Amino acid sequence: MVRNLRVIKAEVIKTIKIWFTYPIMLVFWGIFPLVWVMPFIFQGKAFVGGLTSESFKSLTGTANYLSFVLLGAIISTYIFSGLWGVGNALREETYWGTLEYMIVSPTHPMVILVGKTMVEFLYASVVVIAQVLISVFILGLRVGISQFLPVVLIVFLLLVGFYGLAIGLAGFTLLIKEVHGFVHTLEWVFYLFSPIRYPVEINPITKTLSLLLPLTYALVAVRAIILLNKRILDLGQTILFLGIMDIVFLIAGIFLFAYLEKKTRKMGTIAMY
Amino acid sequence: MNALEVRDLTKKFRRGKGWKKREILAVANANFSITEGEIFGLLGPNGAGKTTLVRCIATLLIPDGGKIFLFGRDVFANSLWARGNIGLLTSGERTLYWKLSAVDNLKFFAALYGLSPKERDKRIDYLLELLGLKEVAYERVERYSSGMKQKLSLARALLHDPKVLLLDEPTLGLDPGFARFIRNFIKEELKGRYKKTILLTTHYMEEADELCDRIAFINKGKIVDVKRPEEYKREMPHKEVLEIRFIGSLDKREFEKMPTIESVSTFTKDGITTLKIIAPRIEEILNETINIVSRNNKILLVNNLQPTLEDVFIYITGTSLKEDTKEELEE
Amino acid sequence: MKRLLGYLRAIWAENIKEWKIELSYKADFIRGMIDPLVYLLPHLLYGIAIVGGRSSPYLEKLSGSSDIVTFVILGYIFIGFLNMALWAMGFSLRKEQFHGTLEAVFATPVPRSVFALGMACHSTLHQSIIVVFQLIVMYLIFSFTIKVSGILPSLLIIALMLFALYGFGMMVAALTLIFKQGWLVSEALSGIMMVITPIAYPLAVLPIFMQKAALFVPATYGVLGVRYFLIGERLPFSLTTLFIRLLILCVVWIAFGILVFNLIDHHTRRQGILGTY
Repeated sequence: MVRNLRVIKAEVIKTIKIWFTYPIMLVFWGIFPLVWVMPFIFQGKAFVGGLTSESFKSLTGTANYLSFVLLGAIISTYIFSGLWGVGNALREETYWGTLEYMIVSPTHPMVILVGKTMVEFLYASVVVIAQVLISVFILGLRVGISQFLPVVLIVFLLLVGFYGLAIGLAGFTLLIKEVHGFVHTLEWVFYLFSPIRYPVEINPITKTLSLLLPLTYALVAVRAIILLNKRILDLGQTILFLGIMDIVFLIAGIFLFAYLEKKTRKMGTIAMY
Repeated sequence: MNALEVRDLTKKFRRGKGWKKREILAVANANFSITEGEIFGLLGPNGAGKTTLVRCIATLLIPDGGKIFLFGRDVFANSLWARGNIGLLTSGERTLYWKLSAVDNLKFFAALYGLSPKERDKRIDYLLELLGLKEVAYERVERYSSGMKQKLSLARALLHDPKVLLLDEPTLGLDPGFARFIRNFIKEELKGRYKKTILLTTHYMEEADELCDRIAFINKGKIVDVKRPEEYKREMPHKEVLEIRFIGSLDKREFEKMPTIESVSTFTKDGITTLKIIAPRIEEILNETINIVSRNNKILLVNNLQPTLEDVFIYITGTSLKEDTKEELEE
Repeated sequence: MKRLLGYLRAIWAENIKEWKIELSYKADFIRGMIDPLVYLLPHLLYGIAIVGGRSSPYLEKLSGSSDIVTFVILGYIFIGFLNMALWAMGFSLRKEQFHGTLEAVFATPVPRSVFALGMACHSTLHQSIIVVFQLIVMYLIFSFTIKVSGILPSLLIIALMLFALYGFGMMVAALTLIFKQGWLVSEALSGIMMVITPIAYPLAVLPIFMQKAALFVPATYGVLGVRYFLIGERLPFSLTTLFIRLLILCVVWIAFGILVFNLIDHHTRRQGILGTY
């Protein structure tokens, strides 16, 4: 156990060192997801002449569309940087030629992955904190102190399941090497069928499909807490659902990874790039 | 007439950042000329500056000093003309479009070399036949072996029938069969039949010995000497080479007290170290040398050899061709 | 004459080669066709959600056109040419570096500018196909009307915008050779451009400094001009001004693009970093 913790610590330190050789990346992720939101703000101004919309309220419960898209951008940063990060992590190791050494070391690959996931979480958190600060102090997003803990709980529940998915994805990376296209397609699915940038309720097709994505529940819950002043107890169903999803995704992800890792070892394609 | 002339060529690279920034002298005042129809070799270890020199001639690098003339014309003042008269072959796995077939690769480059569609098709057909790639002409390059890729690169270099060929390590990393094919091709077809002027860089001394009319020894960016292969060998009259292979390690300084020894070199591969000593008479130093080596090591083999071109290189530069002169390593 | 013919052949060969390579990655090719739609659709649905329908009196007041769907679709689809300059053309040299073929290409007797024109030719053809595909898909989903008489003048505007963007693309292509994380340059530029060009909204809603910055971006005139001719968007300046400014931007961007390209080409040949990936 102690040994495994040490491995995780080593992995975290190694990756942080690699980050600092590309400090510009942190700045990029801290700022650009908000730049991507800007067109939505100006679009709103042009279409309804102000920062609130009554028809938006009838769909989402809040007229404040600006806060709606800001929260979508912030929460989705966790998802997208995680998707790219964990999925790519092992691929980077193959690229540097260090993966084979990692796999032959007596540490279980899952331990290394947990390390990588933690790094990814830290990274995304730094970026998200920067985004929240910009949103609150420059773009006028209002978050109450009492809303903070419930939101953290929801995000935590979202991420546990999500990292389960990412671990499974890492297994695919071992096998097919190029996971870029797959991640890209997942990104589409999230953009199109979850309420990151628009209320899915607008169309019956998107509304139905969105129910299949845990991200939808998390986004609805976070917005309910911050924009509609709902209490955590009002959201019992969502929390239960996210919790079940966590367990399912985590178990599925771990099994998938173990299976694919074994398969890769059999095929002997670990070091191929 | 000189086909190619290099005068006082100097090339420096700046590497590293901040306080680690340093200047590397990749080529220092290089001078040589190649006559028409000649194969001229640049022989030196990895990182000696051979590739840098070739890239300067191909106008891919701008030198810091000196001039290069192709048939009397400055290549940098007439760079498009010069590129049209030079065929370049570089070593390395990735120099072709892997997702395209041999024919598609050659068609693309034929257009860049200004061939008309008629000339192009004739030339591609001819070259693929000549290099034995006809059967795989429409297969994607990603399915080729290294040797086939190198053949295709050679076909590309010959597409526009250039007068001068720059062949940078043409057999590097190839298996012996392909390497032999390429060497024969250079000797028989390119030189024998087509009378091409060729600048060939290599760190294989057999290759230089076999193919080149004249050879320049290059080490740490400097051209040390230019001679015919047989002249080089004659340079070491009455010299013999003692070769000892052993397992273990050795301090070359131990031989300093033996006055008749002219040069000592070692290199290690797969755990076996080869020691080469050049001296006028091997029998005079044999006992003492074996004593030194066997003190801490296990001797596998003792040989008394005739000097090869590599021994001459060691004799002149003190460096083995198999070494990596890392501080000058080219990127 | 013979030389010109040779150069034209080189440009065409570059185009054909790129098609063959791109079509060998079929999944990526298809993804490239669909990708822009994935970003356009949320924009549209979001617009419809806040307006509560397709028609916005506010937009009509600002631009003379009330149909938000047509307004956004036209803006978004033609801005694809800007992304072409940033990505397809911008990364063409980097791709050659990745293939390991950049040195072989640069060792041929073709001026770099001819090679750049080859990349421009290919990316324009590719992007045009994407644009037409998107217009068809969007028409099938949302159905919109445009003025048929406006198509020809729109094409003229697009052609002018393209020339200016080629200069821009050449600059980015050269920059990717010296910045290892060139995609970050493109991503950042694209992020900023998508805000300041009037794609999904008229210029008037932007803060003044952004409006001023937008005037230096050729795509601004491209989008405004196309929408002016196709759906009668009101221009913030006269049509003559639009043409003159676009022409000036063409000259300036092409000159600047060639300058940066040549400077960086010289720099990489001095530093010996042409072939390294």
